[in-house]
Order: sequence, then C-alpha cells, then structure tokens
Amino acid sequence: MPRVVNGVEQMVEIEVDADSGPGWGPNDKHTLLNQRLTRVDGPLKVAGIARYTYDQRLPGMLYARVLRCPHAHARVTSVDIDAASKIPGVKAIIQAPLTEVRFAGAPVAAVAATTPEIAGDALRAIKVNYEVLPHVVHAHAAIRPDAPKVVAEENNLQEKGKNGDPQKAEAAFATADAIVEGEYISARIHHVCLETHGMVVDYRGGDTATIYASTQGTFTIAADAAKELGLTESAVTVSVEHMGGGFGSKFGLGLEGMLACRLSKQTKSPVKLMFTRYDEFVMAGNRSGSWQKLKAGVKKDGTIVALNARQYRLGGLGQGSQAGQPYIYRMGDTYREIYALHTNEDSSIAMRAPGHPQASFAVESLMDELAYKIKLDPVEFRKKNLRDEVYYRQLDRAAREIGWSRRNPIAGGNAGPLKRGLGCAVGTWGGGGNNQCKVDVTIARDGSVDVAVGTQDLGTGTRTYTRAIVAEELGLTIKDVKERIGNSKLGAANPSGGSTTAPSLSPSVKDAAIKARMLMAERVAPLLGNAKAEEIVFAGGKVSAGGQSLSWQQATASLPAAGITSHGEWRADLQARGVHGVCFAEVEVDVETGHVKPIKMVHIQDGGLPLNRLTMESQINGGMIQSLGMALWEGRVMDAHLGMMLNPGLGDYKVPGSLEMPELVPLIDDDDKREAVIGIAEGCIIPAVGALVNAVFNACGVRVRELPVTPDKILMGLSKGTQITQI
Amino acid sequence: MTKSRDDREDQKHNPGRRKFLKGVGIAGAGAAIADHLWTEAEAQEKPGTPTTLSGNVKITLDVNGSPRDVQVEPRTTLLNALRNHLEPAVTGPKLVCDVGTCGACTVLLDGKPAYSCLVLAVDAVDRKVTTVEGLGSPESPNAVQAAFVEHDALMCGFCTPGFVTTISAYLKQNPNPTLAEVREACKGNFCRCGTYPRVFEAALAAAKSTAG
Repeated sequence: MPRVVNGVEQMVEIEVDADSGPGWGPNDKHTLLNQRLTRVDGPLKVAGIARYTYDQRLPGMLYARVLRCPHAHARVTSVDIDAASKIPGVKAIIQAPLTEVRFAGAPVAAVAATTPEIAGDALRAIKVNYEVLPHVVHAHAAIRPDAPKVVAEENNLQEKGKNGDPQKAEAAFATADAIVEGEYISARIHHVCLETHGMVVDYRGGDTATIYASTQGTFTIAADAAKELGLTESAVTVSVEHMGGGFGSKFGLGLEGMLACRLSKQTKSPVKLMFTRYDEFVMAGNRSGSWQKLKAGVKKDGTIVALNARQYRLGGLGQGSQAGQPYIYRMGDTYREIYALHTNEDSSIAMRAPGHPQASFAVESLMDELAYKIKLDPVEFRKKNLRDEVYYRQLDRAAREIGWSRRNPIAGGNAGPLKRGLGCAVGTWGGGGNNQCKVDVTIARDGSVDVAVGTQDLGTGTRTYTRAIVAEELGLTIKDVKERIGNSKLGAANPSGGSTTAPSLSPSVKDAAIKARMLMAERVAPLLGNAKAEEIVFAGGKVSAGGQSLSWQQATASLPAAGITSHGEWRADLQARGVHGVCFAEVEVDVETGHVKPIKMVHIQDGGLPLNRLTMESQINGGMIQSLGMALWEGRVMDAHLGMMLNPGLGDYKVPGSLEMPELVPLIDDDDKREAVIGIAEGCIIPAVGALVNAVFNACGVRVRELPVTPDKILMGLSKGTQITQI
Repeated sequence: MTKSRDDREDQKHNPGRRKFLKGVGIAGAGAAIADHLWTEAEAQEKPGTPTTLSGNVKITLDVNGSPRDVQVEPRTTLLNALRNHLEPAVTGPKLVCDVGTCGACTVLLDGKPAYSCLVLAVDAVDRKVTTVEGLGSPESPNAVQAAFVEHDALMCGFCTPGFVTTISAYLKQNPNPTLAEVREACKGNFCRCGTYPRVFEAALAAAKSTAG
C-alpha cells in the first residue's frame, strides 16, 4: 500500500490471499458499478437541506472567533481582556497556548459569545501587546546566512536527504549532447475549502460530548477532543454528515477544535468555531511552495544521461513536501539533494497529492525543454524515458483527443498576436487501500437494506458507491439501500487522505455485501427447493434458483424478526495500487497583453474498476481545474516588510471561475482491466500544471519557470527572449 | 426593488436606510466604544429619540413565502439573520467569504439574485426573500435542481445552493441561453471542487427541459 513519507511515496508490499472470496468480476459486467450513477446525496444538496457542520445550530450554542497575531514573529507580552469580557453576550475568552508567535495570523486568543457579531466585537476589544522580533517570509531571503532565524539557534535551511553519486552524475554530463539547467519555482497555494475549517463542540458538562466536524477523518478527532474535555475517548461522538471540501487539509482536532473544546468546557455550552475566510487563508494551511534547481543532460537520440537536482521545500514553519526528482522518469545517473527552507509563515499541510504537482511541474518543464533542445517530439521523448508502458497508450489517446498533430513544433511560431500552443505531461500515484474499514450490512424483514460505516463523504461520491456495491450484490436498485456514514459510533473507517478511501472502504463494503447475500441465501434456500446457497441468484429485485423465483419482499419475509446483519472486513485482493494519468492542454497566449487563455484540456486516467463513471469524471475535471489555478493564477503573496499575506481573500487570491473554464475532456482509461478498486483523486491533479506551462511555451516561446504564469512574466519573457525565473 | 424605501412607514419594521446606516457606523466602530454601545442600545427604545437605530431590532422577513419574525442588530446581514437568528434556521445559503466575493450565499430578493452577506437584514424587510430551499425540495426539485443532480453538477455541494439560485433566476430572465451566456451568468459564483463544466451542462439542460 502507498505511504507518503515526507511527501515521497514509499511502496509497502501487501500479501494477497487468493481464497478470500468472490471478486468484483470483469469491469464490463457490472449492473451498477462502472455505470453513471447520480449521487445519492445530490437531491439534499441541491435543495440546500444537506446539513453541514457549518449549518449546525444547537440550543444555547455560542459562536467563537479567533484573535490572530498581526506580526510574523513576536512575543506576546500582555493580553488585556477586561473591556472585551464586559461586553454583554461575551461568555468566555481564552488565550491560545503560545507565547512566541512565528507567523502572522497565529492565534492569540479565542472568544465565545451569543452571536457571531458580538464575538467579533470582543475580538476588537482585546488588547494585546507584542515584542516584535525580526522575521523573514521569502525563500530567497531566508536562505541567506545573515537572515533572521525563524527558530532561534536553528538554520532556516535544513538538509533532508541526498541520493545518488554526484561524481558519477558529473561524469555522465560529459557524455550529453545537450544540457538544460533551470530553476523552477511554484508558489504556495491554498486549499480554499468552501466550508472553512471548524467544529461545533457540544459539551454541556455531562459525561459525554458530541462534535460536529468538517473533517476528512471521522475517527481522527475523538481521542484529542476527549483529552481537552476530560472525558474518555468513547464518550465523544464525532459526526460528519456532509462536508464542504478538504483537499488534504482537514484531519484531526486541529487548533480550531482544540479552542472550541476549551471554550465549550469552560462555558458548559455548545460552541461553534468556524474559521472566517481570512482565518482560512492565514491559519488553515497551504500547499508547500517549491524551488528546484535542475540540470539534465540528454543525448541526440533522446536518452537522458544525467540529472543533478537541488530541491527546496518551502513549507514555512513546517517541513513542506516535494517528491524527489527525477520523479517518474529515467534520467541515467542522478544526484539530488533535498532541503527544507523555513520562513515565518504557517506550516504547509497536505494538499491533494502532497509534493507531487510541484515535482511534476518542474520535471515536465525540464522534459519539454530537453525535447526542444534536441528537436524531438515531446510525446515521443517522454515515451523514451518513461518506465511504464501504460503511459504510451494514454499519451497516444490523449494526443488524438487534443489534436496533437496540429501542434506547431516551433514555439511561438504561429502567426498573429493570439498564439495557440499545445503541451503535455504525465503523472502517477499510489491509490491503494489499507485494512481499517469495518462495515455492517443489515437486511430487515420488511426488505429494507442498511449499510453502515463511519466513513466520510468529501464530495467524492462515497455515499453513492457504498450503496451501489450493496445494491448490486443483492440484485437491487440504488434506492433500495440506505447508507449511514459519518459517525464515529459506526464501524471504523480510514481518514480520507492519499486517495485511500475507495480502495480501503469498498472492499469492506463488498465483503459485507457478499456475506449478507450468503446469509440471505441460506435462509431462503428451503423456499427455493433447498437450492445450494451459492447457486441462488440475486438479480433484478428477485431471488431465484432452479426455475423458482421469489420477490425481494417474499424472500426477506423469511428472515428472523431482527433481520440479518453481516460484517465486512477489508480484502487486499479487491483493491490495488498504482494509477497512471496523462494530461494535454491547449492555451492561447495574447502576446500583446501576456494574458493566457486556456482553450482545452484532456486528462486520461486509469484506476482499475471505476466505481462510478459519473463521479470519477467529475473528479478528473476537478483535478484539471484545480491545476489550472495553480498553473495560471493562484499564489500566496507575502509582504517582506510586514510579513503578512497580502491576498487573504477570494477577491485577491484568484481561484478558477466560470469565465476561465476551457473545454474539459475527462477520459477514463478502460484499457485498464484490473478488477480492483484504486483511488484516483490525487492521480488526476498531478500532470496538468506541466501540460499548461508547456502549452504556454509552445504558444509563445516563453518558458516561465515560476508559477503562477501571470501576464507580467510572459511579457518579461517576450521582451528578453529568455527563461523567466524570479525569486 | 418594488418600491422606494421612503414609502416605508412602520418605524419598527421598516428602518429607513439613513437610520440603520448610522447604527452600523456605531456598531462597526469597535472595541473602544463597545461598552457604550450596549448601554446606548438599551436606552434606545425611547420614543421620539432621534434617529440612531442600534441594539436589537424586531423585524419580520418574508422568507420563502412565510413571514418570519426575528430580532437582529442593524448590522446583522441577511445571511446571518437567516442562518443564525431565524428560528428554525435557514441554512441553504452558505457562509463562505462573507464579503461578496464567492456567491455561495446567493438568495433572491424580489426574484433578483443578491449576495445575502452584502444585504443587511433590516434592508430585506418588505422584500420577498427566496432561498434555495424555496426553489424546490428533494422530492419536488425545480428544473435546475433536477438537472444539477442528473449532470453531477456538484461535488462537496457547498457552492451548489448559490449556483442553483443564480441559475434559476437567470433562466427566468433568459429561458434559452447560450453556453457563453451561462458562463457569464455564473461568474459571481465560485466552486473549488471543479464542477463548472457540469454546472454549465446542467443549466443548459434545465433550460431545455423547461422550454418544452
């Protein structure tokens, strides 16, 4: 199974038990899975009555807000809450457990009040004195020996590993026909979950508490919350009915949960603490930036002979993440050094495929530059240096779809001020599961079917495929099955990170469904001429054997009063790891304004058995669209002197909108015949950034090596005719 | 807007614009005077005292066709009134940015889309407020809601009420839009999961289904 260690995926072997039960069967033989199923929570969501954490409103509930430090580095010398605590409606004010603050936006205090407006008043009435300390917020400044230290006595630059033999790599460069050397930089970007981080802690002084959380891990909260509340872990129930986006940023109790617990404990009232949008930008984490110095040598025939890589992970106070180069390519003798370079910014945290889009952007840019240098077609050049042949068919298919044959091999060679160009890139991910999910399927005597597991649906379609797996196994329709998820009192489930949910959950659901079918079969066998349980067919709402047939209702009428319940466990043989994806992009660059307009994007993705084609395509679209933001528009802007983020709002931090949408073509690679479930969410966000920047180069001849590719960089490149790197 | 604000008579339910803006000014002035504000608020209700509206105000909002009594401060936004002051709450419109940049809180005011985070609750008195809940239900969705489900125009669903509301209003105004017009109509709504292409598909399909 895949594990991400410091952003670099590691392989862990899993033993597969061949006798663990029936499998999924061929991918083209399903009645519900691998079809286009509308999501079961859709009707609730479109009518506005799906209840999210942010929508919870409990009797006597207090609203909490967080006071943030405005300085990038400071010591809190005094906090005066006198005036604030006198405001009618203010019920509690607590101080955050920090005396030295290392980023602007760090929490200093939190208040709970009877309305959100009063909570805001209280924040403004708290007086904090700070001793302001020197700070550094830009990587190029932080790396200087005389830079202010982010943590006293520690270097801002921390070595994290060296791989390969530098002498061997150096020698191999001598055999190259061409060498490309460049610095690739990606900005820190934000998750921008529309539902901000937050929780409602419902503790009223008794022996139990309930926490409504916007989280990717129903089971990642209770232990820490219990400690804060002075309860046992099992006395804390966590509920995640619906959640409004996470993208890797929502695991555990978090600061917001900790403060909400403390306020709730102090006031013995339910407390709702949802970050404001500003909080979300400055406190809720971000995708780490990257700064990569790459040098590669290539022979005329397209063989890459050497790579030297120096990679800086820009994770603020955190370690950052960045997959090691040469990422997925073969590059002969390689040598790399990886460093964490710290600044006075909040820590980066996991974001959809942590560390991978950054590495992919750099290496795919480099690949493109090498291809131009030796005048090889970028698609053929990639094939030559890729390990896995699955990419060959994907490259060919997506190339046809985008119309690669239209591509002008001369970058910027098309006439006129609006120049179109094409680019491509390749990505990979693990997407295997692990043994954490416990699923119960109950068939009642009245025919109703319930599938229960504590997992969470992030908008990925978890509810829908959970139902579909059970319905298909029992020969029913989606509507005949009801799912209960999102509650820590239900069967355990893994947190949704690393594309592990589908491959962890669906085998357990399948296992429970198969067992429920067998239990049913044994019960109804006497009604079907004592047929053998495994010969009884469940299809089309009927249970049949040997020419005899019972309706579902007739069959379930034979069950005991309590119905039957089966318990499902994870089966390694029902999932697999390793996905492949290829993205092609077409853009139009206005060489008079530097404006880049995305025209079309194609992404082809494999993933074993597609549980639901409709939602899988939506996820592929999502990967492309989020990549568009990273490539062209998004980036945190920090002020060197104030040490603050200058664009902490949706008015200034540009996420993709409806007007910028290109034509998007999400393709499912059905040539993947693996009868196994594999997670695809991260795989389909990785290559698109590379495809876009390469398309920009093909369009106008400007190689922008620093994200986002804004008009100023295009114009600068056009005026100088050289590569653009600014750090 | 159906009538000018000067037409409003009932002081209690129809705070004039000038008056409540003063109230906002005081409330927004912040910490230093917060204590005074509250004492002032209590003294406020004296009849004949000139002008400044502050403290709690009782208003009646017309939400999805029902009169809803609610106590708000003059500075309370319509969005906050719906979500945090009405009992029971109306939580279809989502709080995402609270400053009019994302569209998740979109409601219809007299049939026209408005960011409810930019409208004061006291300014919504005498106007018909329609939220996404008022457009249809899971059992009986309107054409846009049904098309959103059919075309998978949602993932996490947090932006969905805003899109559904915006598009439902737009199709009334333009029942047969082009793709370009749909994109233009949605430009005030953000989605992060990446549903735009299917939002467009759903809007066009809804237009088609109602046209027949």
